Amino acid sequence: MSFFARSPWILHYDGSSCNGCDIEVLACLTPLYDVERFGVINTGNPKHADILLVTGSVNERNVEILGNLYRQMPDPKVVVAVGACACSGGIFARAYNVQGGIDQVLPVDVYVPGCAARPESIIDGVVQAIAVLERKREAAA
Amino acid sequence: MNDVLVTALFLLLAPLAGGVLAGADRVVTARMQGRVGPPLGQPFYDVGKLLQKDARQVNPVAEPLLLGHLAFMALSGALVVGGADLLFTVFVFALAALCLVLAAGSVSSPFSHAGAERELIVLLATEPFFILMLAAVCKATGASTYGGVLASPVAVAAALPGVLLAFLFVATIKLRKSPFDVSASHHPHQELVNGLTSDLSGRLIAWVHLAHWYETALLAVFVTLFFNWSVPLGLAAFLAAYALEVLVDNSTSRAKWQLVLRSSWAVTLVFTGGNLLALFLLAR
Amino acid sequence: MSDLVVLLIAFPLAVGALLLVVRDAAARNAVVVAACAVVAVATVAAALSFPNAPAFFGLPGAVPLGALDSAILTAEAGLALFVVVVGLRHRRPLGPAMALAQLGIAAWLELTGRLNEPDPGRLFWFDRLTLVLVLIVGLVGPAICVHALGYMRDYQRSYPRTRGRRTSFFGLLFIFLGAMFGLVTSNDLPLLHVFWEATTLCSFLLIGYTRTEETIGYAFRALEMNLLGGLGFSVAILLLAGQPGGLDLARLTSGPAGSAVLPAVALLALAGLAKSAQMPFSSWLLGAMHAPSPTSALLHSSTMVKAGVFLLLRLAPAMAGSAVGSLVAFVGLLTFLAVSFAAVTERNTKTVLAYSTIASLGLVTGCAGVGVPETVWVGVLIVIFHAVAKSLLFLVVGTLENRLYTKDMEQFDGLLSRMRRLSVLALTGIAGMFIAPFGLVIAKWAAIKAFLDVPGWQGAAFLLVMAFGSSLTIFYWGKLLLKVLSTRAVAAEERTLEARVSRFEWAAETALAAAVVAVAAGVGLISEHVVTPYASAAFHAPPRTMLAIPPLTIGLLLLAVLALPVLALWASRRTDYDLTDFYASGRTASAGHRIGGALGTTRQVTLRNYYLEGIVDGRLVFRAGTLVCGLLLAVLVGQGLVSLA
Repeated sequence: MSFFARSPWILHYDGSSCNGCDIEVLACLTPLYDVERFGVINTGNPKHADILLVTGSVNERNVEILGNLYRQMPDPKVVVAVGACACSGGIFARAYNVQGGIDQVLPVDVYVPGCAARPESIIDGVVQAIAVLERKREAAA
Repeated sequence: MNDVLVTALFLLLAPLAGGVLAGADRVVTARMQGRVGPPLGQPFYDVGKLLQKDARQVNPVAEPLLLGHLAFMALSGALVVGGADLLFTVFVFALAALCLVLAAGSVSSPFSHAGAERELIVLLATEPFFILMLAAVCKATGASTYGGVLASPVAVAAALPGVLLAFLFVATIKLRKSPFDVSASHHPHQELVNGLTSDLSGRLIAWVHLAHWYETALLAVFVTLFFNWSVPLGLAAFLAAYALEVLVDNSTSRAKWQLVLRSSWAVTLVFTGGNLLALFLLAR
Repeated sequence: MSDLVVLLIAFPLAVGALLLVVRDAAARNAVVVAACAVVAVATVAAALSFPNAPAFFGLPGAVPLGALDSAILTAEAGLALFVVVVGLRHRRPLGPAMALAQLGIAAWLELTGRLNEPDPGRLFWFDRLTLVLVLIVGLVGPAICVHALGYMRDYQRSYPRTRGRRTSFFGLLFIFLGAMFGLVTSNDLPLLHVFWEATTLCSFLLIGYTRTEETIGYAFRALEMNLLGGLGFSVAILLLAGQPGGLDLARLTSGPAGSAVLPAVALLALAGLAKSAQMPFSSWLLGAMHAPSPTSALLHSSTMVKAGVFLLLRLAPAMAGSAVGSLVAFVGLLTFLAVSFAAVTERNTKTVLAYSTIASLGLVTGCAGVGVPETVWVGVLIVIFHAVAKSLLFLVVGTLENRLYTKDMEQFDGLLSRMRRLSVLALTGIAGMFIAPFGLVIAKWAAIKAFLDVPGWQGAAFLLVMAFGSSLTIFYWGKLLLKVLSTRAVAAEERTLEARVSRFEWAAETALAAAVVAVAAGVGLISEHVVTPYASAAFHAPPRTMLAIPPLTIGLLLLAVLALPVLALWASRRTDYDLTDFYASGRTASAGHRIGGALGTTRQVTLRNYYLEGIVDGRLVFRAGTLVCGLLLAVLVGQGLVSLA
């Protein structure tokens, strides 16, 4: 029996972004969407997290941080890119210091489109991430 | 024989009860915030998942110390209900807390260390109360074991109203509820990044949760000491107190550690000390 | 028996005298190691020949009594003369005044013939408490002397001006051991007094070892405070001289003291309080921490201060139930509380150990003052555990100091990663002191249980003191443990620090660590065969509770002592962890405990303990405790002086 589907703990990291997606991520925790219904906890600590939820693009400065946070998450773990910037670099894609979407540096499992991504699609992305998490656990076992 | 049975039951049921209470805590908290909240069994799902996850070990001594924390916590509860000397158990209880402090503090990371130091402050703030509480219970009833207190004709709550009041206060600290959750917090995005458990992962966090459930159960057992004429009444009183703690937790912001220490010592000295003094003066 | 005891007293004195003239280092090492072996063997032989019942005896062979009296008087005169010379040379007249007063009393008693002739068959008293103290002095003492051989070599490098004084240092250590054996075996009070003052003088010389202005000041403080206690002792002898059998310690303490001898008992208690550094005399022990670590270990943790509580425990049956007993109990417990407060604000490790020593002695003093078999049982057990564990800790801190050039506990970060063996030894000491049997758990538990039966407001006050004091104890030991157990990614050169520790130091520390474990394992036997019979005999009634410690508890206690050091040893073999993998807000951590900072820099991580600034003012509490205890002692002494008038 696997408990991952019932207890996905999330680490939310914001790269280069306008903070639009971040507001939508937090909106998921409000009474209207209340993702805690599904056991989701916003942990703020990579060592406790199962799902790395990244908003915004990767730049020269935060690539080290993002890499460390991902590395410090214990297996099994999945990465969800939320919003246009995280998926591809978005409107920042051609900025001088931006490397692009986070799939340039991390293995992204789920892409959530939108600018900003809507809470419904973020929740959908997390649900898909849980399925990936489950597959990874079975593969490791 | 009966003692062995009760001890075994405690060791099996205490984490269950503690876990259910933690789940109820989260549901009630969510309802207070206008949310639906997770299922009642959520804490068990969380621990189940943590046990299935990898554990990244940051140093070689943290996990053994956490297992010590869990073992001592379970042992202190088992000793109480199993009929050991009540005053002896308070030191085992303190050792359990110390193990958690050392597990977090041995990591040498800024967040863990801050959490460990603050947990040490919490220990300093609450330990005098627990020693005095059990001393007062023993003095009031003349008994020295849990069974002896339950069998005593003295109504402990009536003899120790001050101690009971102080218990409400100290329980807020021990349960790590706001405003006294200085060493760790279940609230997201707080400055300590969970403090004590910052650098723990996977099953290591599960040990902390399990120990906390035992701790909650032990606090419930302590409350039944006050209502020694009826254990169900004592458990009901504990639930009522816990509900009050949840309300306080949801309606206050975190205090500084200085306030935790000062207020806890003041409450212990005035209410528990005063009650104890009255007990000794009236005893002749 | 009698031969062995005289050997134990005379042999170290002779070796000490010999060492005063041996200047060659290799020869000194050989003499010290051989003499330590002899002392240890003689100690074990004395313990084995203990006849299981209190024994009284005199000197072997026929010694004329007059000769003994004049020998005592000559020794008193010699000691006083020495104090006068050094006191005048340093322009500190207080010490000489008190020494001369003591000499005057002794001479007056002798010359006027008021001193009752001591019973030649009862000069020495060897019972189970003596046995405990003899074993402590005779086994812990030699270990410390051996440790000093290595320690002092390094110490000279740090303090070059002390070069060449090592001769007198080792001589004094052995003279001290001889005096200590005399102190714990004497039954005749004037004889006991000579040894008492001899330990005071040894302590004075050893504290002032570096002969800086600072240490000389501390040495005089120790001398004057202890001479004040010694003066109380002398006056007590004066008061008791007229009483039949009054100067016979065993007879004096055979039961509650009558009103005729109670003032003298109070004055003897004063001497005990001064020697065991209870408030208001605590400051001398803190000053004494400036001496080399073996001195701190030998005199100020395991042996000399034990002489103070030894006397108080002896007096416990005499003080029981009297105002004197209550006053002594209050002084001890208030000292325990006040120094525990002071200890949480202190970061010098040696000072923390000193505070913890005073606190433990305070508990013993409190137990002696309460004066029931249960508390005396607790007191003796604390003495045993404290002696082995605390001496080990002092030696380890000494070794650390010579390697890290600091006593600041904040500099011990990552000790487990940097110095594995020393960490294991330190953990053994801390576990013996605080986690397992007689630091934290059973001693305080038993004391609290006994205090529950103290009637009236005093019982509530004692319990409050215990509750807060023992919580503070957890706090300061917890902080020290955090440092010793802490791990971090260290640079390669930091790992070689341990390699230069001398084999003398390893040998002594390992032996004491083994002793800590042995004592914890044997606590049931010690309680059953030594401490319980002693407490029963002293009060002519057995302790009600705690007579037998069940084997399961002993197993648990042993486990608790061993758990931490074994854990540390086992951890050093693990490889499945990454010390740099801690959470640093996503920054990269690297060896040497550094994390990335802004603009490509790296920063050292420093972690500091809490010292409760703004909550607890250690100095203020210390002063307040000194004042209150001083007033209590004034009452205590006042009684004695009124009766003298």
